[in-house]
Amino acid sequence: MTARDSLAGATAISGLGMTELGRVYERTASDFAAEAVLAALADAGLAKSELDGLLLNAGISQGVDLSLVQTLGLRELSLLTQMNAYGSSAGQMVQYAAMAVHHGLARNVACVFADAPLLRGQRAGQAYGGARARRPGLGSVLPSLGFAGPIPFYALHAQRHMDVYGTTQDQLGAIALAARAWAGKNPRATMREPLSLAEYHASPWVVAPFHVLDCCLVSNGAICVIVTRAERARAGPRPPVYVHGLGQAHQLEWSDASPSLAQRSSRAAFEMAGCAPADIEMCQIYDCYTFTVLTTLEDYGFCKRGEGGPFAQSGALAPGGALPMNTGGGMLSSYYMWGMTPISEAVIQARGDAGERQVARKSRIAVSGNGGIFNHHATLVLSPHALG
Amino acid sequence: MADDGAKVSDPAERSRPYFAAAARGVLALQRCTSCGASAFPLRSRCGACGSTALEWHEAAGAGRVFGHGQLARSSVPELEGRLPLTLLLVDLDEGVRIPARLAAGESGVRAGDRVTLGFEAAGDGTPLPVFRREARRAEP
Repeated sequence: MTARDSLAGATAISGLGMTELGRVYERTASDFAAEAVLAALADAGLAKSELDGLLLNAGISQGVDLSLVQTLGLRELSLLTQMNAYGSSAGQMVQYAAMAVHHGLARNVACVFADAPLLRGQRAGQAYGGARARRPGLGSVLPSLGFAGPIPFYALHAQRHMDVYGTTQDQLGAIALAARAWAGKNPRATMREPLSLAEYHASPWVVAPFHVLDCCLVSNGAICVIVTRAERARAGPRPPVYVHGLGQAHQLEWSDASPSLAQRSSRAAFEMAGCAPADIEMCQIYDCYTFTVLTTLEDYGFCKRGEGGPFAQSGALAPGGALPMNTGGGMLSSYYMWGMTPISEAVIQARGDAGERQVARKSRIAVSGNGGIFNHHATLVLSPHALG
Repeated sequence: MADDGAKVSDPAERSRPYFAAAARGVLALQRCTSCGASAFPLRSRCGACGSTALEWHEAAGAGRVFGHGQLARSSVPELEGRLPLTLLLVDLDEGVRIPARLAAGESGVRAGDRVTLGFEAAGDGTPLPVFRREARRAEP
């Protein structure tokens, strides 16, 4: 048996700040970011002068940058950067923050995601897929073919899974329905009205096998978490959410190389946390699309390869299920704050703050982030308990 | 023709061999003259061995369907009135995966099907890679 990594359980999330999320107009990403950081500081019981680390992830609108330091009047920073690996960025920020506080390079590091791509009167798809400038040269072939934005790529991966393993449309639908059932219990969620399988099937096609309801929302807002050393978090006003394990994996080539990024990333995180997939009691999985969830569940080892569809259809992920997932409604039904959506929900659940949607079994919560077209992955294992 | 892409940064200029070949109905790919690895999309350095000695060569135009999907709506204006279309990701025998479409008149494609390349012109004349399923040989 190898010695446990000294980073395992050494750090914790001590503060969480969330702005109003969703169709919130006439505010900039920078303004959302500032509000989220200040809210997280207040939640952690910290004065602004105690914040000495700031990591930023701007979303698709790229509306926040290092000028946030000036906006917030931060004067004590010893750690600062803006980073982006899309949907895995948030998990990565927590990792870099954890390493920094563990080694004493900073005491309290704020990790913030902020975005404001939605304009009043504009459809979500315009905010994302439509705004891209036409690229010169070979890059022009993609949109001419019909590959605009990430949706076609994910949809084609999903259809492959259906062809190879017999995954069904109903099984993808089960993931959308589970998210909506949880969202109904989350007062912050954008889409709270109940969703039936018939309504899912009636939702317009985008790129088959994806209906509109297989794709996540687009949201305005910001979420921030504060990472600090475990003993410092214990002295704070709120219950610490311990970081038991961390992992990342990246690869820009398209290939069938095995193991996948999500496998590599989750194995690293589970190994650091000293746990197996069967020890995970709840998961917050990056759900940019229903299919992303299905394949992540397989890669993380919660079910066998090819069995993600039946697993989702079994009801395991929905309220009352064996592996409660995306208990705030996820990005499919609640709010799309990239990797901060799953992280924030894990913090809320670990603290016991989830109200009507609170899950009792929460000792180990797996959190995933996925970026690009399966190009970037980050995994966290979070817990309300110190690592014994 | 060796293309030292590191010295040629203009993507339109660098893509010229691709479009010249496509106009002849041929798919051109970059290939590393040091290790033989094919590359897509455009790059200035071989991802396998690091060499900058990349040349253009003609792909055989055959491969296997990785994934497929029916494009029903799109933000791309020129596709208005042309939907639905079947999009493909094809793993070429050269070892690269390329986005493409199913050729007009074809249907019923599945992941794993062998396919062969052709080109169809987009609305603005851009030659687009399309694939049709290989004619299956009669079983002996």
